[in-house]
Amino acid sequence: MPKTLLRDLSASQIVGAIADAAERWSNADFPPRVRASAAIEARLGYATPVVEYALDRLFFSLRRELLEAAIVDELGSLEALDGPTQRLRRPAAFARGVDRVMIVSSDTTIGVALVPALYALCAKSNVIVKDRSDELVRAFFETLIEERPEFAAAAQARAWTGGADADESRLLGDANAVVVFGSDETIARIRMLLRPDARFVPFGHRISIGYVSPDLLAQTSDDDVCEGIARDFLLYDGEGCLSLHALFVSGVPAQAYAFADRLARASERIAVEFPASRIDATRAAAFSSYRNLSAFRAAGGRGTVFSVAEGTATIAFDPPRDQPPPLLPRVLPVYPVHGIDDVATFVREHRLPVQALGLADTGVPAALALAQTIGAVRITRLGEMQAPPLGGHHGGAPRIADFVRWIDRE
Amino acid sequence: MLAYRAEADALDTRILEAIRSGNLVAEAFDRLACAIFAHQFRWNAPYAAYARNRGVRTDALPQTAADIPAVPAAAFKEAVLSTTDPARADIWFETSGTTLGTSGRHYLESSTLYEAALLAGFDRALLADGARLRYLLLVPDARERPHSSLGFMMDRIATLRGDGREGRYVQGEELDIDTFLRDADAAAAEHVPVCIAATAFALVALVDALAARGRRVALPGGSRIMETGGFKGRARVVERSKLYAAVEDGLGVPTSSIVAEYGMTELSSQYYDSHACRSAAARIKVWPPWLRPIVVDPQGRPVARGIVGALRHIDCANRSSVVAIETEDLGVLTDDGLVLVGRERGAELRGCSLDAEDLAARS
Repeated sequence: MPKTLLRDLSASQIVGAIADAAERWSNADFPPRVRASAAIEARLGYATPVVEYALDRLFFSLRRELLEAAIVDELGSLEALDGPTQRLRRPAAFARGVDRVMIVSSDTTIGVALVPALYALCAKSNVIVKDRSDELVRAFFETLIEERPEFAAAAQARAWTGGADADESRLLGDANAVVVFGSDETIARIRMLLRPDARFVPFGHRISIGYVSPDLLAQTSDDDVCEGIARDFLLYDGEGCLSLHALFVSGVPAQAYAFADRLARASERIAVEFPASRIDATRAAAFSSYRNLSAFRAAGGRGTVFSVAEGTATIAFDPPRDQPPPLLPRVLPVYPVHGIDDVATFVREHRLPVQALGLADTGVPAALALAQTIGAVRITRLGEMQAPPLGGHHGGAPRIADFVRWIDRE
Repeated sequence: MLAYRAEADALDTRILEAIRSGNLVAEAFDRLACAIFAHQFRWNAPYAAYARNRGVRTDALPQTAADIPAVPAAAFKEAVLSTTDPARADIWFETSGTTLGTSGRHYLESSTLYEAALLAGFDRALLADGARLRYLLLVPDARERPHSSLGFMMDRIATLRGDGREGRYVQGEELDIDTFLRDADAAAAEHVPVCIAATAFALVALVDALAARGRRVALPGGSRIMETGGFKGRARVVERSKLYAAVEDGLGVPTSSIVAEYGMTELSSQYYDSHACRSAAARIKVWPPWLRPIVVDPQGRPVARGIVGALRHIDCANRSSVVAIETEDLGVLTDDGLVLVGRERGAELRGCSLDAEDLAARS
């Protein structure tokens, strides 16, 4: 068994190095971050504030105590990664990181592949990331190596080129655990290349939805709520699986309409902070076609269309229910509904794979019931949908548990 | 009603004259398109409501074709877009349901106008030599699917331009390859040039079948193929140049005699590959004088030549429906015509969100 230098470090040292590197990356003037930021902008076409916001969210969250908390929660202790640890009324156990973890990041937004890679490194696994062309992960790994040279052999990132890759099959076939972000097609293709006993952690394409309850509708004239929802749908042009793709508003129709109107005005303000990115002509054509079709419906008395920020975003109020949500960049359908059951019905009828459910009050029993019904893996507050906590599960999966093999000592 | 009839008849006369003469200069096109729009603004209520919401007023009607509000093609699935009672329509065609899973209808008050437009366009594109061909149709059979615009179009062309021995080889979703080969062999033996009209997907099935049987057909010189449609909604996609090469190999029709048509059920007129481009790798579409493409940006503003954008069509033969149709198809105008642009390839995906295609693929 090859011995990696990373295994010579304690988990605490690894976590500390990651936190220290992240702190350096939290500085917007840190030269590698400046370069990565420019590369991300070039790749994705996002405006600078969008990229900076994403990088801030990412690196400010990579704190020692948060990383440790997730590890302790899943493994019982940080020390379990270093060797057998005593456990109450159970055998001592060692959470031994698997030898090789591969992470394929075929279509994520900004830095999504980095977090599982770091948890795999906490498990002392050798990690290879097929990174996006902006090479954010590779750049962060270089900082990690500056912090602790022991990362050099364990943390590798390769640019994702798409299509056939001669090394890909071999690397995937050798991996003990594989994390894949991608389409159903990509996931299916990669799954076939794995060894039978490999852990497979797929993160497919999903959507997120929000629900405005009658209570919230009746109470709020607070612009913060609307601005939060606007951020949920405008940030990353709504192209992340945690972006808000459909909003359901329950209550008196006139109030629901007024809410949509207020949301449109809030979106004007948020669009200044998070302007539209450069999108390809195909998506641009689909976007304008949907907006104009909504306008056509509105002219016939069916729904209302709010064109926001000089036409760069669209809120469609009361679009047809017999069609799925448009799933287009910077387009938010707002459905007036009679209650939470209507939401479940809509999701079921259109077979929507829901990742996150956004509400004002995540603690109400109905929220948990709805999340279970629609298959959501995260219940979060409106306005925070695209800011998942580091210590939370990712896509319904554990953060580190998939990267370790337990060795019990009885 | 009398006012409507008089207005409609007068417009139809003007449009038919433009089609017959093949002569409609830019200013005359603008005048005719705007007159048709004004007519539709009066008599096509859903279109008028949409146009009013876009700022059109009776006393402030568009003065150029580019100013005419364009209706998204999908709107045909949302409303009856007709200047007259649909029950009075001569013909109607069912629009595809590939995007939203539902279909719409394009009602046409006068089949005369529709036929005149399709025949004149086809004559210019495929029958400039005046050939009388035998038509072998690998498109929906109009007798089986009377509301297929493609089926209707090729049925009329075969009937009015053919040698009286046309064949139809699509039954339901199936291709009758055996009968096709029998008829193709007969045409070859009789030295009668043929015109095969086929969807791209049917052509793929045909060349696959020929390859599977180890067959080739040497169609007589002067034979030609009209290919239409892409691979939208199909699991298998074949690069057009490879398809044409396989067709040339299997049927003996040179690539330069394969003409791609671009049309939509929501239009009455069609685009075809220009004569000049048919031996070239890049195909360029041209249009008849009563049709005009406009390439627009996401805000609906016309863009300059050389810039890719969404296609808007101003079709004067759509007198009784909607003169300006907006699509999600991409194109770029050049000095020589219109280049259709497929979905941008190589663009790196940006997010892990599901998109409409993903969702459709799952259902």
